[in-house]
Amino acid sequence: MRLREKVAIVTGAAQGIGRAIALGMGREGAKVVVADLQAARAKAVVDELRASGTKALAVEVDVSRESSVKSLVEQVLRRFGRVDILVNDAGIYLRSLVAEMKEEDWDRVIDTNLGGNFLCSRAVVPLMRAQKSGRIISISSRIAHHGAISGAHYAASKAGIIGFVKALARELGPDHITVNAICPGVADTAQPRGHQSETVLKEKLRENPLGHALTAEDLVGPILFLASDAASYITGQALNVNCGSSMH
Amino acid sequence: MSDVALISGGANGIGRAVALKLAASGISVIIADREEAAGEEVRRAILAAGGKAEMVQVDVTKAGEIEAVVGGVFQRHGRIDILANIAGGSFYRKGIEEMSWKEWKEVLDVNLKGSFLFCREVAPVMQRQRRGRIINTASNYGVTGSALRTPYSAAKAAVIAFSKSLALELAPYGILVNVVAPGPTDTPRVMKNWTPETRKLRNAEIPLGRTGRPDDLAEAFYFFCGEESSWITGQTLHVNGGIVMP
Repeated sequence: MRLREKVAIVTGAAQGIGRAIALGMGREGAKVVVADLQAARAKAVVDELRASGTKALAVEVDVSRESSVKSLVEQVLRRFGRVDILVNDAGIYLRSLVAEMKEEDWDRVIDTNLGGNFLCSRAVVPLMRAQKSGRIISISSRIAHHGAISGAHYAASKAGIIGFVKALARELGPDHITVNAICPGVADTAQPRGHQSETVLKEKLRENPLGHALTAEDLVGPILFLASDAASYITGQALNVNCGSSMH
Repeated sequence: MSDVALISGGANGIGRAVALKLAASGISVIIADREEAAGEEVRRAILAAGGKAEMVQVDVTKAGEIEAVVGGVFQRHGRIDILANIAGGSFYRKGIEEMSWKEWKEVLDVNLKGSFLFCREVAPVMQRQRRGRIINTASNYGVTGSALRTPYSAAKAAVIAFSKSLALELAPYGILVNVVAPGPTDTPRVMKNWTPETRKLRNAEIPLGRTGRPDDLAEAFYFFCGEESSWITGQTLHVNGGIVMP
């Protein structure tokens, strides 16, 4: 077990990629905080974790609200006393062409996907600095490099994450804290189902050199690697996990 | 049956650390290197620790030698699961006006052509298996360039583009091709040129505040050999303490 006794916060962990990461961290011995806006679903993931013997805590959080993030970290500290790993996975994808995009939608996507990274990272940095150790892993996207029609705000937020990660990696390097991003290709989760038919999605999922439909579970290994001691000399990088669909 | 890994440049530095790491994980390791004595030392260390290893002497710029090495490994093991092309080096530090054609060719041959030749020989074996991992070695200089190292930077950038192309070619066979790009690493060859002052200056440029250890790199190679990287291909992982963030 590579993460024994480590305390990991995973935002957006009530479903999809975040849930898979939370369960994966649990398998590696971490104490896992399932942080999500969807309290009931977060609780269900915690029940799953506890059933397999993992110490876990569900926290309802809106990562785009400063007070909510502050309360998240306070609850984690009360329960587990420290934070070793933060996985910034919480994100939303609203569909709209730029010409028709409402300012509120732009703000919501940027504030959640990119602002959430800022607020959650800022909240754990003092703890990690004091420990002289820590791992921050943010979920970006292939779309950060590739763009997407009707997803300009999403693309901007995910590209913003990469810039943020690089800057934060430079700030935190002297304290032995690594900061990296993962850029998944399109994965078989609930998120892309919001805006396309099942047939189109199934086709799109296999449109990659390896011909494999990426699942949430497929992203867990690379994230566990980055969270483990094996990756202690890797920082400021964005690792593409996309079956070869782009090689930026 | 354990996986079989062929490691070019496995006798020293990063290659040595990769050989030890893979062998410690139960993989049968073939160290292919020009330096026989150093390769033998790695082989003996692996055997002493209960692992499986062979040493074969090879000049990675000679197509005939590589063909013979790969043929021999296939004959003995019937398979090749992992190819790690690590043999390399920058060799010269000099301005372009002083760089001879012979020196240019030497750097390109060892760093780029050697990887091409090994991949060309191993690819058919992996295609028949419909399984395999190829890990090539670049450098942060392949992205940023480096004054006085024009051939090395060109070769390492070329390794990245070569690997992307090969990843596309071999993806239909389930073979993954990725690149590990080291930054400044504590290998005997690098260290012999560094004074304590140079080290202090270099460390100050690196966000994580230290140079890499061969073991740091070995972990990245091992990651690309394992199940956790099954859906990553054509990518370059920079293991450099944050000195370059492409």
